[in-house]
Parts: sequence; structure tokens; C-alpha cells
Amino acid sequence: MSDQSKAEIAVAKFLEHTDAEAASFFEACVHCGECAQACHFFLNTGDPKYTPTYKLRPMERAYKRDKAPFASLKKNLGLAPSKVTEEELLEWEPLVYDACNMCGRCTLVCPMGIDIAGTIRKMREGYSAAGMVPEGLKSAAEYVKKTTSPMGVTIKALKAQIARQEKITGIPIEVDKKGADYMAIFSSMEIMGYPEVLGAYAKLFKKAGLSWTISSTAYEATNVGVQIGSGALAKEILERVVNAAEALEVKHVISPECGHAYGAIRWAGPNMMGRQFKFEVVHIIEVLDRLRREGRIPAGTKDDRRMTLHDPCQIIRRGGLLKEPRSLMDDACSDFVEMKGAGVTNFCCGGGGGVSANPRAEDLKLAAFNSKAEQLRGIDGLQAVVVPCGNCRAVFEDGLDDQELELEVLGLSELVADTLENS
Amino acid sequence: MGFLDFVEGPLFVIAAITFVLGALWRVIGIIRIGRKKDISPPKGSAAAGFIKGNLRHFFPRGIFARRTWLHIIGGYGFHIGLFVLVFFAAPHIAFLDDRILGFGWQGMPRWAFVLVADVAFAGLIVLWVRRISDPVMRLISDWEDHFGSWLTFLVMLTGCLAMQQSHDVLRAVHMLVIDVWLIYFPFSRLMHAFTFVLSRGNTGATYGRKGMNL
Amino acid sequence: MSKFAQGAIALLLLLVIALFATQTNAQNVRPPGDAVNLESTGQPGPSNALGDRSDSEIWDAFRGGDPNDLLAPRPDGVVLSTTGQHWREFRENYINKYALWLPAGVIVILTLFHLISGKMKISAGRSGNMIPRFTLNARVSHWFMASIFILLGLSGITIMIARPILVPLLGSKVTSVLTSAALQGHNLFGPLFVVALLWMFIKFVRGNFFQIVDFKWIFKLGGFFGGHVSSRQFNFGEKSWFWMVILVGIVMSATGLALEFPWIMEDIRLLQLSTILHGIGAIALISVAIGHIYIGTIGMEGSIDSMLKGEVDENWAKEHHDLWYEEVTGKSAKD
Repeated sequence: MSDQSKAEIAVAKFLEHTDAEAASFFEACVHCGECAQACHFFLNTGDPKYTPTYKLRPMERAYKRDKAPFASLKKNLGLAPSKVTEEELLEWEPLVYDACNMCGRCTLVCPMGIDIAGTIRKMREGYSAAGMVPEGLKSAAEYVKKTTSPMGVTIKALKAQIARQEKITGIPIEVDKKGADYMAIFSSMEIMGYPEVLGAYAKLFKKAGLSWTISSTAYEATNVGVQIGSGALAKEILERVVNAAEALEVKHVISPECGHAYGAIRWAGPNMMGRQFKFEVVHIIEVLDRLRREGRIPAGTKDDRRMTLHDPCQIIRRGGLLKEPRSLMDDACSDFVEMKGAGVTNFCCGGGGGVSANPRAEDLKLAAFNSKAEQLRGIDGLQAVVVPCGNCRAVFEDGLDDQELELEVLGLSELVADTLENS
Repeated sequence: MGFLDFVEGPLFVIAAITFVLGALWRVIGIIRIGRKKDISPPKGSAAAGFIKGNLRHFFPRGIFARRTWLHIIGGYGFHIGLFVLVFFAAPHIAFLDDRILGFGWQGMPRWAFVLVADVAFAGLIVLWVRRISDPVMRLISDWEDHFGSWLTFLVMLTGCLAMQQSHDVLRAVHMLVIDVWLIYFPFSRLMHAFTFVLSRGNTGATYGRKGMNL
Repeated sequence: MSKFAQGAIALLLLLVIALFATQTNAQNVRPPGDAVNLESTGQPGPSNALGDRSDSEIWDAFRGGDPNDLLAPRPDGVVLSTTGQHWREFRENYINKYALWLPAGVIVILTLFHLISGKMKISAGRSGNMIPRFTLNARVSHWFMASIFILLGLSGITIMIARPILVPLLGSKVTSVLTSAALQGHNLFGPLFVVALLWMFIKFVRGNFFQIVDFKWIFKLGGFFGGHVSSRQFNFGEKSWFWMVILVGIVMSATGLALEFPWIMEDIRLLQLSTILHGIGAIALISVAIGHIYIGTIGMEGSIDSMLKGEVDENWAKEHHDLWYEEVTGKSAKD
């Protein structure tokens, strides 16, 4: 391995991760450029290099040179694309890490239905194997190894937040309760920035009469491994949660209001572990929707502010939870207005896919947020926006500040908890 | 053997075989790369998603169509026009009847041919000039994109130039370009005509498993 | 058709013919073949069909019609109408034979101009800052027109020069193949020209109306011979080209459709007029288009950007379209 150049390591990983699915994408792309029209990085900068399909170029080249049907024939005829070089990989590195939220909006406009976001995820495996990763993500990974949290949230800090929420709500939150039905995990952003979500869970689950707990060894849902593109790290992070949940013998693990976390554990999880879990993974929105329909958390007085709902890409577009948050919104507020393009075609906040953890991409992230700001400005008299993703929420706060927009940003669970009957 | 007999006979047979076997080889080659079995508990059917994905992407979404209407009209105009020309131009039907199928069907009248050919040409020209005049397209296009467009253009052009059907030479030139096109096809990006089923289907299958209703 | 329209068409046809073909009047119309010098040929065919009695009486009976009354129908029993004969001679002897001299002349002049004064550089050099000039749809409409124009130009010229130039050069067999192909192609792309013209008009008419500033441009001869000329989005040259394309384009469309679908108009003289106007219009458009292509590509640094990228260099804009630059950027072009 040591005598391999970085480019060779990356290319080997590219090829390893080019399965029949990725191959079909590379084969089908006709370079029509439609994807640019769906990408908030292109739309807000006008720079052609942010065209989604262009971001895949090095991996596509590696595939066409070494793995595609007729590759060796073309090589012999001198018609194969040239080797991917390290300079080229470095040139592309910001495109792959800073300018893609893996939001998947481009797939919707693509006449070939190419999943560029999923392929970027695979491409990052090559970059991470070659050590070409932005500093911000590297240090997040370091934190994860030390504390399990990309922001360095220790169990001590979590317990302090739990204690405060217990005090505010007057409801005890049991940690490490063996045999509970549900185990909740959170994103660091929620624990440190929006701890009221812990109180909201406590209130809602008490009302529903549902037994739940938080693990002291695996409370972190964010999977930096997925964002960096390191399968090994992603598995290590996931393993903690799976082991803790199985040790506590819970029936369900609740994925929090966090985008990538849901996909990482719900869809990629079993594949990374190579086995099915002994528990079911459910998203908090799914849980609340189910409890609501079962009449266990009846809705009370509605919030009468004019509100809209942001669709976190990994939960709505790529997670399939389209209707659930909307019916919860309808129950919780009397003046719910959809933004233009809401639902599966909604714009990403600009900070997903590890971009918000990457200080180098700060300006680009804020530029991309412009699309979101335009959507928000398009609603007259808007007072609050519900953002069911901790990471999106932090990006919103930065972005709204940058755009000088005065809006309250809420989590969905809190809104549901606040509008509960008799609360 | 005359030139026309050659390009309609042996060369055409070689080209057609290359086309069929090459395209099969390539599609099978892509599928054979294989992929890991997804063991996450599904919420919906991947197979249904495969079909749905294929159908769904025929229809552009309104929110994007406002930005991409030119490309949609050009793309559909060209592709539909080309299909109609290939299968409903009277000389084509006669050729298929004679050489391959042994049966024919009703061809288009001349006015319809001109109309459809105009739509197809307009579409192809719009697609290509967009490729040279949009910075995004200039950045992402490579020689294959241009070569494929031009070769297809030549196939259509030579066909239309032979429309009077009074000179064998013109028919032979058309056939020659078709033979070249058929041989080039399986090795090139023209293969998108088949691979789109796989790419749309794969994405659709993933969405289907996740129970997404797009 | 109304009497007025008929009269107008007849007048136009008369003018065109009178302008170019004063000597091809009825008196020196020659019968086809070599009917006059029978002894020198002795070949079979129409020349010998008259036997030994070739004289003006027979020929007078053969053709007919008053050469000065274009609206009069061909008299009964007459084979060849005088106006038709005029049309044929004019077309063959003037348009088809000399058509290429004008575009060829333009090419020679431009080549000399280029050799002498070279490429027009952006005198301040490129600034690196680009400002948007044409939208993508405007660019696509331009290139769509350009593509159709080139296809029609090549096929049209082939048809035009077939008899006087291609037959002697390539022989009649090859020419027959070429013209058959060219005619099919020309007829096919013709209708698309109408579409392209309409699209082009819609996309470019804004900014192409003549303004006071254009007079200054004319007085300074466009700055080709020095001196600064101001202009807004389009200068006088560009505006003239635009209107020429539109107006001549309308004539080309109308005459072209008449020739492609001859059953629309019953009167053969309208078709004769159409071929002549179509030929003259084509030569005019092709000749000016060569100049347009020259300035747009190798003639002037930075011009092609506007049509390939949609944006132009700031310094290019300041130099060539200062008033437009000020409108768009809100800055002064003199800085």
C-alpha cells in the first residue's frame, strides 16, 4: 500500500465502489446539463464547475478507463480516457466536499434519473482513503473517536442538559433503562444547541405512555463517517449505537431530527454491519405521526403564527417521509403555508453532507442558502419556520442572520410538544 | 457487386450484428459488475420502484421545466421525430419488410414526413447549439457528445437528401452512414438509448425500497 | 387575387427584369439550340426539327405574347411565352452565372482588410470581468438560425450554380445527383427558416430599433477608420443586419414557401418572380453574413464570447457598446 500514490489509492477505491448501479449512472449520462438547474450551488454562483455531473468526473473517468465494458479494447486503441492524476483529484476535492450536500435534488431533474448524491457518497470513499479530506471534517472525525460526538459532546455534558430539561419539564428522563421500548439518539447540534428537544421528547412520550431511554454510551446519531466517506469510521460509529441498543434490549431506536443520521442508520446501517438489527429504526417524525394517529398524543390549541416547513433532504426527498411532517404541522399550527417548491423538490439548506462541518465551505454554504432565503421571502408575513433537522437548523440560523431575515426557527418535536392537548 | 448492394448487403449485416451484439455485451457487462444485496428492511418494493422510476422520469417536474423547457422541447422533438422517421418513413418500412421482417405496415404521407423531419432536425439542432453556447454545456461536453450528435445528424441528413429516390448513389450514401452509425453505437454514448433504463431503474428501485412516492 | 396585387407584382417583375436585362428584349430572343446556323452543326434535335425552313415566321408562331404586357395571358396556340423566356434568360445569364461574385468579392475585401489592419484587439486588453450580454435562449435562437442558414445556403448555392458552374466542372451526372440532394435538403430546411426567423425576431427585436446615436455611428463610419463611436446594446451595423435579416428573411420565406408549395399560387409569373427575388435575396444575405461571421469571429477580439458564453469582457463592452455598458452596470465607460 505504501508505495501507492494518493491518486492510485483513490482510483482503486473509486473502482471498488463503482457497482452496477454507479456504472449504470456513468453509462447513462448524456451530458445534458439539466442537473445544474437543480443545484443551489450552481444557481447561486453561476459557476459551471458546480454542475452536479461534473463533480463526478474523476470517478467516471476511472470507471471508463479501467472497469467499463470495452475498456480494455478502447485502451488498446488509445481511445480510453487518461489516468486520473493527483492534481486533478485535488482540484475536484472542493467540488466533492464543499459544493455538494448530497441533497439529491439533481436526480429529480435528470432525464436519466441518475443518483448523483449517492455517487458522490461513493466517490468520497476514494478521497477519504487517499487522505484528501477537508480539515474541518478531519477534526470532526477526531472528536468522534475521542468522545463519540463530532462536536466533542461528552456524556457529562449530555447529563447536565438532561438534568436541566428534567427541571424545566418536571419529567424524569431515565438513562440506560434496560428493556425500554424506545432508545433515543440525538445529534450533537441538538444536545448543545437545542436541548429543549430532550424536554419535548419527555413530554410527548409521557403523554403517550411510552417507555424510552437514552444510552450513556451511544447518544450520538450524527455519522461523520458517512459525511467524510469513510466506510470503516461510519461502521465504527454505527456499531456503538447498535451495540448499546441491543445491550439495552430496546425494540426501537429513534433517529432524531437530523438528516444524514436517519439514512445512515436506517438504510445504510444494516448493510454496513452486514446484518439486520434486533431492533427497528424509526424516525422521530414517524413515531410522532404514529402516536398521533393512534390518539396517544392528541393535539391541543394550535400555534397561530404564520409558519412554513423546511424539508430536510435526507428525511423527505431521500428518506420518504413526505406526508408525516405535514399532517403534524396541520395539527400544530393554524396558519401553515408551504413555500414554493416544497416537498420532494424543496431546496437544501446548503449545509448538509458535511458542508456545515467544513469551515472552508462557509461562504459557499451561505451563498447556497440564498435559494432558501428566496423561498422564505416569497411568503408574506412569515413568522416562523419549522426545520426538522438539527443541522439544517444551525445552518438556517447562520443563513437568516447573513440574509438579515428575522424569523423564528423551530424543531418539529418541540412544536408538537408545545401544542399538545392540555400542555 | 455495386456500392449500393455492398452497403445494403454485407456491410449492413456486419453493422447490424455489431450493433446488436455490442449493445448486448455492454448492457450485460454493466449488469454483471453486480452490487451488494441491500439487507436493510424495505418499506416498499424495489421492483415496482424500478418500473416507476423509468416511467416517472419521462415527465419533467413543473418547478424545473420553467428553467429547462427549451431542452425538454428540443429533446422530445428530436427523439420522437427520429423514432417516427425510423419506423414510419415509407422507404424504411420497405427496407425492413424486404430484408429483415418480411412484413410491412402503412408509411407516412410525404407531408407528414417533411413535418416530422423538420421537428426532428429542429430538436437535434437546438440540442447541439445549446451544447456549444452554454458555459455549463461547454464544460461538461466531450468529443463523444459532438461526434454522436453529428453522426446522427448525418444519418438524418443523408436520408432526407435521398428523399427524391431517383439516385442510387444518394441511397447508398445514406446506407453507408447508417452502417457507420450502427457500428459506432455500442461503443459510444449513443448507448444511453438502452442504459437509461438501468440508471432510472436503479434509482427508482432504491426509492421504491424506501417507500418513497415521488 | 385582386387586380391591385396583380398589377403590383407585374410592376415588380417588370422592374426587376428591366433593371438587369434591358438587352434581352423580344427582338433578340434566340430560339433554343442552334437553329440559326443549321449548316454548322447538323446534329439531331430541336435545331433540325425545323428542317431547312428556319425563319422568323416559324419562330414567331412558336412563341408569343406581348413582351410589354406582363399580365396578358399566353395566347392560344403559342408554345413559349415571352415573359417566361425573359425570366429564364435573366435567371440563367445573370443570377446563376454571376451570383457568386458578390460573396466572393466580400471574402476578398475582408481578406485584404484582415491582412492589412489585422484583428481588431480590445485596446485596453481583457479585464477578466465578464458582463452578461445574451441569455441562453437568445444564443440558442441565434445558433439555430445560423445552422439553418448555413444548411440552406449550401444547398441553395448548389442548386443555383448547378447549370452554369457544376455541369461544366463535374459533368451532368454528378450535378444531377447533387442538385437532387440539394433540392430535397433545401425544401426540408426551408420551413425551419421561417421558425428560426420568428424566434430570432422575438429574441432580438428589443434593442434593435434605430436611435439618434446611430446617426453619429454612420457619420463616423462605424469607427472602422478610427475615432470613437458610441452605441447602446446594438450599433448601427448590427441593427441594420438585424433588420436586413428580418425583412429580406420575410421575402425569402414568402418566395421560398411559394416555390416549395407551388399550388398555393396559381400564377406562374409569381413563381418566376419568386425565383428571382429568392436568388437576389439569398446572395445579399450570404454576402453580408460573411461580413457578420468575420467580425463575430476572427475579425474582432472578444466578440464570439457573447454568443458562446453569453457574456463579454468589460473592456470589450466599454469599447464597442459604451452606452449599453453604462446602462447595464451603472458605471461610467470612461473609467
